[in-house]
Amino acid sequence: MKTFSKELRERFPKQVLTVEESVSGQVTVLLNSSDATVITRHFLTERQARLVTVFAEDRVKAEGVFYNYYVFDQLGDPSWVILKAPISQDHPSFPSLAAELPSVNWQEREIQDWFGLEAAGHPNPRRVALHDNWPDVHPLRKDFPLDTVLPAFEGERHVYRPTLGEGVFQIPVGPVHAGIIEPGHFNFAVAGEPILYLQLRMFYTHKGTEKLFENLPIPRAVFLAESISGDSAFSHGAAFCQAIERAAEIEVPQRAQFMRAILLELERIANHIGDAGAIANDVGFVIANAHAGRVRELVLGLNETLTGSRVLRGMVAIGGVRRDWQRDQIEAIEKTLAVVEREFRDLTAILQSSNSTRERLERTGILRPEKAAMLGVVGVAGRASGVDLDVRRDHPYEAYRHLPFRVPVYQAGDVRHRLQVRIDEVGESLQIIRAAVAQLPEGSHRAPQQPIPPGRCALSAVEGWRGEIVHWVRTGEDNRLERCKVKDPSINNWPAIVETMEGNIVADFPVINKSFNLSYSGTDR
Amino acid sequence: MIQRLIENATQLFLLLVLAPLVTGVIRTLKARLQTRRGPGILQPYRDLRKLFGKGMVIPETASWIFTATPWVVFFSTILAGLMIPMVAAKAPLGLFGGVLAVIYLLGLGRFFLALSGLDTGSSFGGLGSSREMTISALAEPAMMLAIFTVAIGAGSTGLTEIAGAAIGQTWRFLAPAQMFAFAALALVLIAETGRIPVDNPDTHLELTMIHEAMILEYSGPYLALVEWAASIKQLVLMTLLINCFWPFGLQPTWFGFGALQGIGWLLAKLLLLCCAIVLLETVNAKMRLFRVPELLAVAFTLGSLALVSTFLF
Repeated sequence: MKTFSKELRERFPKQVLTVEESVSGQVTVLLNSSDATVITRHFLTERQARLVTVFAEDRVKAEGVFYNYYVFDQLGDPSWVILKAPISQDHPSFPSLAAELPSVNWQEREIQDWFGLEAAGHPNPRRVALHDNWPDVHPLRKDFPLDTVLPAFEGERHVYRPTLGEGVFQIPVGPVHAGIIEPGHFNFAVAGEPILYLQLRMFYTHKGTEKLFENLPIPRAVFLAESISGDSAFSHGAAFCQAIERAAEIEVPQRAQFMRAILLELERIANHIGDAGAIANDVGFVIANAHAGRVRELVLGLNETLTGSRVLRGMVAIGGVRRDWQRDQIEAIEKTLAVVEREFRDLTAILQSSNSTRERLERTGILRPEKAAMLGVVGVAGRASGVDLDVRRDHPYEAYRHLPFRVPVYQAGDVRHRLQVRIDEVGESLQIIRAAVAQLPEGSHRAPQQPIPPGRCALSAVEGWRGEIVHWVRTGEDNRLERCKVKDPSINNWPAIVETMEGNIVADFPVINKSFNLSYSGTDR
Repeated sequence: MIQRLIENATQLFLLLVLAPLVTGVIRTLKARLQTRRGPGILQPYRDLRKLFGKGMVIPETASWIFTATPWVVFFSTILAGLMIPMVAAKAPLGLFGGVLAVIYLLGLGRFFLALSGLDTGSSFGGLGSSREMTISALAEPAMMLAIFTVAIGAGSTGLTEIAGAAIGQTWRFLAPAQMFAFAALALVLIAETGRIPVDNPDTHLELTMIHEAMILEYSGPYLALVEWAASIKQLVLMTLLINCFWPFGLQPTWFGFGALQGIGWLLAKLLLLCCAIVLLETVNAKMRLFRVPELLAVAFTLGSLALVSTFLF
């Protein structure tokens, strides 16, 4: 820590003001201007770091400036580096990194939409999070009251890139789809069946979640965190609670840490099994889906036994978990998982022995490793394309430092390998849970409740089943929140789907999309 | 005259009533193989009743083609159905054209369906129409070759004669030419009825649909007509396949008890074919769209082999 601080200050005497480590595992570097380009370049090239997320905060009332935060993950270093760049009120603009670093494209535009801070030099500075027909408002500024009622939107609609050429057609799909799925617009340009390019439009379910967090009493904010993305309720809840616990220096009891790890893995198993079935279903191999549905149900039943909720809601709490487990509940874990393991092995055999299914999945929707790295793809989709990242291993949290597991990584990047990552991870998760149950310590399941001190900031990351979930909080007065930034893995991964279209046909899009299975709600917030 | 009326009426009744049942049986058997209970074999009837009782939404961009198509499709399919031997070798409406007329009546229905898919100007309709025409352009020659093989054996393109000749030689289907022709026609049947591995009749994914994409804009009674016609077409093709190649129990003519016996055999053979289709659909995933032509090329090759071997053996 000392050497890092010294190095950085000697290297960039003009840019760096202070380097501090207020929360363990998180180094905050305060810059003296809004320009983070030079240091970012230094981190990306010389320190082999990855830019995890970019977000802003309105501190005009307290400090007279806005801040932009750049979170870095350095290869082989478990601590996070957060650059904090002030942006003055009089000149609300910051140099954009999107041209060099496409992974921040949407995130920088979110800052533009929500805070009215201009991403200067952004190659495509159009609206993203607030649609084009929104009036000129910036809801995440503190002077925008939460109860503002906006007039009916009359602005211009989004203009898509035109589809031109002999025999080239446009296929607009969505935002409302035929299945029971979330809204998103996919605009295909096709020449017959082959796809030329795809344009995406998200944020149809933008709910202003980050605004809703502000001034919310912290215990209630846990429930809001759980509803960010329904299929990752526990992961988002845990990420939020961890952030608060780090900020307020609450020691989570060992037992609760192991319980959380078990529940995080159960969420992963249930979703991965569901996805394996859904991928098979999209290529018309319905029998595997029927089988997967049955196995997934066993896990959901276990979830209910353990938490009272099939999707693990209402279990995680600040300082631990809400309910302790009895002996018979712990026995139910072992008993159910033995069945799940056997049945899942059968399902895997069915999937792998079906030549017609393999034929559909192999070499379909290839995401090349270099593109995955460039776009900052995380999670399952990343690991299938050579992006060797797993928060559980790289930044151990909860009980994961006591639990051994393997991180499956493949280079092929096609639908079949995204399925394979899921299959491997179910196996690993089962081992993690077994080890966690065996080591489950006795003791309290929740730290005593205490008021949260104001003005504390902390970052937390959790490896949800889909990928890296990041929450950053600043606590406020009266046990309330000042700001909560939420980053769902989907926001990095959506643009990657566009890159997989090359050489594919329209009829294969649904299975490619399903192999990513991204959250609309988590992206839109 | 009255005899002929009764024949026509019986076959019409069988076509209209049996077709949804076949669809229902296939769905229920599929559900059972997936360890689901399924909605029951009578569900297609309930669906039809529901759709006939509903109002319709007709796109503003639709022309007369859109409103004419359900009728054209429905009646051309019924007409084709009356021209094939179902219960007895003698088809009720064997007046003109024989097997060629059957193929082209079904072709007429498909032509109008594809037109209506394009007519509304919706992107999915066009997608479905283009796919359907690609597949049928490849399926039709294979079907022709298979049918000609049988026709040469019988010395006529009249379906009554073909089925009549088949009755005389119960075990003829073991001849190489017949086996090739049967395989070719079976592949065509899968492609034409939109079943896995060519099309998935149960999908909700618009981007992967073929038949369903063409009829996406239909609702209410029109949708009912189109759906009903699709299941009748499926029955017609299945009956054609089983009566040309497995003539067991097929009666030479329509008369009292024999006709009942004929219906019994027909149902038994249809059930057997349903089971085969269900097994095929369950163990296979849907093919990649661009691989479907390869499957139909196989059907075409089998059809050619069948035709060649008629002269060799």
